[in-house]
Amino acid sequence: MKAGRNMSWFTRRRVSFIVVIALLIVVFVQSALTGSIQVTPYELFHGLLTGTNDDVAIIKDLRLPRLLIAVFAGAALSVAGVLLQAVMRNPLADPGIIGVSAGASFMSILMIALFPTMFFFVPMFAFLGGALAFLLVYSLSWKSGLDPLRMILIGIAVNALFTGLSQAIGFSGGGLTQSMSQVTTSTLTLKKWSDVDVIALYGSIGILLSFFVYKWCNYLALEDKTAKSLGVNVNLARFVIALIAVLLASVATAVAGMFAFVGLLVPHIGRTLVGNDHKVLIPFSALAGALLILLADTLGRVLIAPNEIPASIIVAVIGGPFLIFLLRKSDRIYGY
Amino acid sequence: MDINGVTFSYDNKLNTLHGIDGSIETGKVTTIIGPNGCGKSTLLGVLSNHYRPQNGQVVLDGKALTDFKPKELAKRLAVVHQQNNAPSDMTVEKLTAYGRIPYKSLFSSSTKEDEEAVEWALASTNLLDKRKMPIDQLSGGQMQRVWIAMALTQQTPYLFLDEPTTYLDIYYQYELLELVRSLNKEHGISIVMVLHDINQAIRYSDTIIAMKDGQIAAKGAPADIITADAIKEIYGVDVVVKHDLQAGMYIVPIGI
Repeated sequence: MKAGRNMSWFTRRRVSFIVVIALLIVVFVQSALTGSIQVTPYELFHGLLTGTNDDVAIIKDLRLPRLLIAVFAGAALSVAGVLLQAVMRNPLADPGIIGVSAGASFMSILMIALFPTMFFFVPMFAFLGGALAFLLVYSLSWKSGLDPLRMILIGIAVNALFTGLSQAIGFSGGGLTQSMSQVTTSTLTLKKWSDVDVIALYGSIGILLSFFVYKWCNYLALEDKTAKSLGVNVNLARFVIALIAVLLASVATAVAGMFAFVGLLVPHIGRTLVGNDHKVLIPFSALAGALLILLADTLGRVLIAPNEIPASIIVAVIGGPFLIFLLRKSDRIYGY
Repeated sequence: MDINGVTFSYDNKLNTLHGIDGSIETGKVTTIIGPNGCGKSTLLGVLSNHYRPQNGQVVLDGKALTDFKPKELAKRLAVVHQQNNAPSDMTVEKLTAYGRIPYKSLFSSSTKEDEEAVEWALASTNLLDKRKMPIDQLSGGQMQRVWIAMALTQQTPYLFLDEPTTYLDIYYQYELLELVRSLNKEHGISIVMVLHDINQAIRYSDTIIAMKDGQIAAKGAPADIITADAIKEIYGVDVVVKHDLQAGMYIVPIGI
C-alpha cells in the first residue's frame, strides 16, 4: 500500500492538477450560462465577442464579475492558508480562524464608518487590519517558541475580539449597515467590475509572490534550529511569508467578505492529493480554492432560485464532510 | 576553534555556562559529557552559534561566530540537532539536498557540485539504495543517518552532533558512532558531540570535555581524565575503571 503510494506520487499529482483545472473550466462556463437568464454557450461567446446580445450584456455586467471574484477569493484564501500554516508550523492556522480575516473586516468597517468617502482604499485598510490581527496573534503566542495550541487559542480570542468589535459598530451606526454588509457577509451578489479589478490585481500579486517563497515555506517545515543551522534566515522568511498571507487574506475579505474554513480545508485536501512540497502545494491550493468557492457560489445561486444561499454556507456544507472523508482515508495530518 | 570566557544564560538571571575557556582541536573527535542540566547541550549550542553568549566569544578561523553571516557559518559548521522534523512524504535525497542551502540563493537551481555533494553524503552514510524512499518508511537509525547526510552535504570542516545516539537501540548506536569515527578518520572532519554514555565517549573520542554546573570539570584524553574519583566528583556515582586487552578502557558503575 505504501509502496504503491510512492510509485504513483508523480502520476497522482498530474492527475490531480488536470482534474482540478478541467473542473474549474467546466464549472466556470456552466456557472456563466446558468441563472435567472439562460443562454447557450454559443450565444455567450458570440455575445461577449460582438456585444450584440442584451442577455449576454447583462451576464457580463452582473454575473461574470461575481464568478471572477469567487475564483480569485478562493485562490487567495487558500494560498493564505497554506502560507500561514507554513509560518506557524500549525495545521490549524487559517485566516478565518486566527483572526486575520476578522481584523481585515473590522478595519474596513471602521474606516468606512469614519470616512465613508474613502471606499476606494478599503483593501488597504483591510490589509492593515489583517496585519494587526496577525501581529497580535504571533507576538502574544510567542514564548521562546511557537506552541501550536497556545497560538490557536490566542487566534480564536483575537478573532472573537475583532468579530465582536465589528458587530458593535454595526449596532451603533444605523445608516452604515448598507455599505458594511459588503464586508461582513459572504454573498457575492452585486459585485462590479471595479471589485474584480481590485481582487485580480492584489490577488495576482500575492499569489505570484507566494510562488517565489515556496522554498522558504519548505524550509520552515524543519525545526527552527535545523533551518538556522542550514543558514536560513528563519525570522526574515517568517516575516515575508506572513506578509504575503495577510495581503491575500485581507484583499479577499475586503472584496468577497468572510469565508471561514477555506484556508483550512483546501490546503489539507491539497496535502493529501499532491503532498507537502510547497512548489506543488501552493499552485494546487490556488486552483482548488478557486474551484471550491466558485462551485459553492454557483450552487448557492441555483439550488433554491430565485433565492440564494451564501457561498460560505455551501462551502461549509460540502467542505466539512469532504475533509473528514480525506482525513479518515489518510493516516497523517500535516505531513507528520 | 577557541572558546574565550563564554558565559551564557537563558533568562539573564541564572548562568547556565560561566566563564568557559578552552579550544576544540581541529581534526579530532571531541565529546562533551556530564550529568543532566550541567550545560553540555548549551555549550554545544553556543559553539554552533545557536545561542549567543552574554560574555566572551567563540572564535572560528580568527572570527567570532556571532560575526559570521548565517550562510557563511553554515559552510564551515554543520549541526545535527537532537530533535528533528520534516514532512513525512519527503524523499531521503531531497532532504539530504537541503544541506546545499548555504551555497544557494532562494532562486538558484541545482548545480553539478550540489549533486556531487549529495551523492558523496549518501554514499558516506550508506543511504544510496534508500535515496528515493520517503522518510516515513525509515527506521530510527536510518533517519538519524539522513540527518547526518544532510549535514555532510554542507561540506563543512566541523560537524556537531547533539546526543546523536538517543532513542536508538544498541546496534544503531554503534553503527552511528562507527560512522562518525569514519567521517573523522577518512574525511578529516572535526567532530564535536554530546554523549550520555561514558563508555561510548571513552571509546570514540580523542578528547573528552567533562562538564559540571556550567563549568568544565576536566578536559583531556579519555585515559587521562576518566578516573573513579573524577566520575564520583562529576556524576556522584561510584565506578570501577577497568582495562581489558580487547575492550580497552571502560567503566562499570557499582553504586552511588
